[in-house]
Amino acid sequence: MSRPAAIVFDQASIAYGRVPALEQVHGTVRRGEIVALVGPNGAGKSTLIKALLGLVPVASGSITVLGQAPAQARRLVAYVPQADTLDPDFPISVAQVVLMGRYRRIGWLRPPGRADRDAAAEALAAVGLAHRAADRFGTLSGGQRQRVLLARAIAAQPEALLLDEPFNGVDAVSQEALLDTIKTLAAGGAAVVVSTHDLGLAQLTCDGICLLNRHQFGFGPPADVLTPDLLRAAYGGAALELGDRGLIVARS
Amino acid sequence: MILLTSLGDGYVRRALLEVVIVGVLCGAVGVHVVLRRLSFLTTALTHATFPGVVIATLLGLGLVLGAGVFGVLLVAVVAALTGPRGAEHGRETTSVTAVVLSGGFALGMALMSTQEGFSRDLTAFLVGSVLTVQPSDLVVSAVTAAVVLGMLAALRKELHLAAFDPDALAAAGYPARRLDLVLLLALEATVVTSLPAVGTIMAVALIVGPAATARLWCSRTSTMTAVAIGVGVASGVIGLAVSEQWNVAAGGAIVLSVAAFFMTSLVLRSLPWGELAVAVVGRRKSAGRPTYSG
Repeated sequence: MSRPAAIVFDQASIAYGRVPALEQVHGTVRRGEIVALVGPNGAGKSTLIKALLGLVPVASGSITVLGQAPAQARRLVAYVPQADTLDPDFPISVAQVVLMGRYRRIGWLRPPGRADRDAAAEALAAVGLAHRAADRFGTLSGGQRQRVLLARAIAAQPEALLLDEPFNGVDAVSQEALLDTIKTLAAGGAAVVVSTHDLGLAQLTCDGICLLNRHQFGFGPPADVLTPDLLRAAYGGAALELGDRGLIVARS
Repeated sequence: MILLTSLGDGYVRRALLEVVIVGVLCGAVGVHVVLRRLSFLTTALTHATFPGVVIATLLGLGLVLGAGVFGVLLVAVVAALTGPRGAEHGRETTSVTAVVLSGGFALGMALMSTQEGFSRDLTAFLVGSVLTVQPSDLVVSAVTAAVVLGMLAALRKELHLAAFDPDALAAAGYPARRLDLVLLLALEATVVTSLPAVGTIMAVALIVGPAATARLWCSRTSTMTAVAIGVGVASGVIGLAVSEQWNVAAGGAIVLSVAAFFMTSLVLRSLPWGELAVAVVGRRKSAGRPTYSG
């Protein structure tokens, strides 16, 4: 018996004004599943994540998040941006960053309470950085900052988690910690969507792959989507001859 | 010190009270300006508020009222043209802001030049005349400061998140644009309130300077706010004292004090032991209980 659907793409197309950015995405992310958005730069991975957050409108078709329109589901969804988009000099502690994940639950005008601090501390411990709570956010390494942002998302206790290129420029230890935490969250019933350049990582760790380049080339189990033909179609022939992407294709 | 002996004079007492209120307000608002990199937009706002002041004078309206109304109008225009975070986003919006800045300033100059005795009034508008602050100005300053500080305190969590990670703010479903607008209005209210003390040109220094100084020393927004308010008030009081002592323009002396605080901090921080001092303070903090405060 399959688990309940958390995110449903139904022939969804996204456009900025009249310029189409991404066309005909069709598939389902179930609770407890980790699905990777894979494709070359400019494929529309970030656009799709923005659409899941209701920040860009769906031009045709539909996207349903936890049974609602994306903009209505935001309180149940947590978003993890790339750590290097944030100002490393910002005067804020690691603990304060994690606590921000609770703000939506706390609501306007009210200060964080005991339960919020506990949830934040617990989330930080889950990514293995409890000992850095009092340090300034910017003093951490890139990988550690990414883990702190994941902790912030966990503190919100989301039912769906969206991550934008969380493994970019992240050291091996932090990558391991990120993956473990994401898997734990999925095991707890959350639906996870993660965009990545790393085809190997996607193949090894994800339950599903959504292969994109301006439109969808495949959506399903890694074995069905990460095939030479589909990858060549999505990436273009030239990209496959270079680097470890070619290796992946050769192996499968 | 002449400032102490002349406190018996009502106008000096009023001036002192005014610089303290304005120092607190500018310090607190400046933190948001500096953290969001809105210094250039603030410069534009202060310059473009200038014609509002002139129009208010020509029409015989209250200076603060006229500047306030014009300022709100201006905030709406800037928000519509560029978005409140426009100054961050590349050349195009920066150009719009620059044109608004010089255009507003030119309009003020043109309007002023139609009047008699224009250069004397001009100086008062541009660099302020805190010693002629009226009790009614004090009331306006105090009320504005109370409202703006109350608003900053009430929206503390949300404004903090908006400054640190605006994408996450929007992703969490907050009305990001309305929050930006609220901050912009608070900024404009601060500019207008600072007018009597330091004038339109120097208001930006009093808003950005103390916060930029605090930014050099602090690793928490809360301490940064406290230090910025401290530097803002200290600059006002020191500037006033210097002004009384050596008979120099108060507005100029206040802003020079701000600049002195900033430059001194900049030099101290660039010295090897300046770095060390911050590290020691930071380590002492780390050793304590981690603070999960908002």
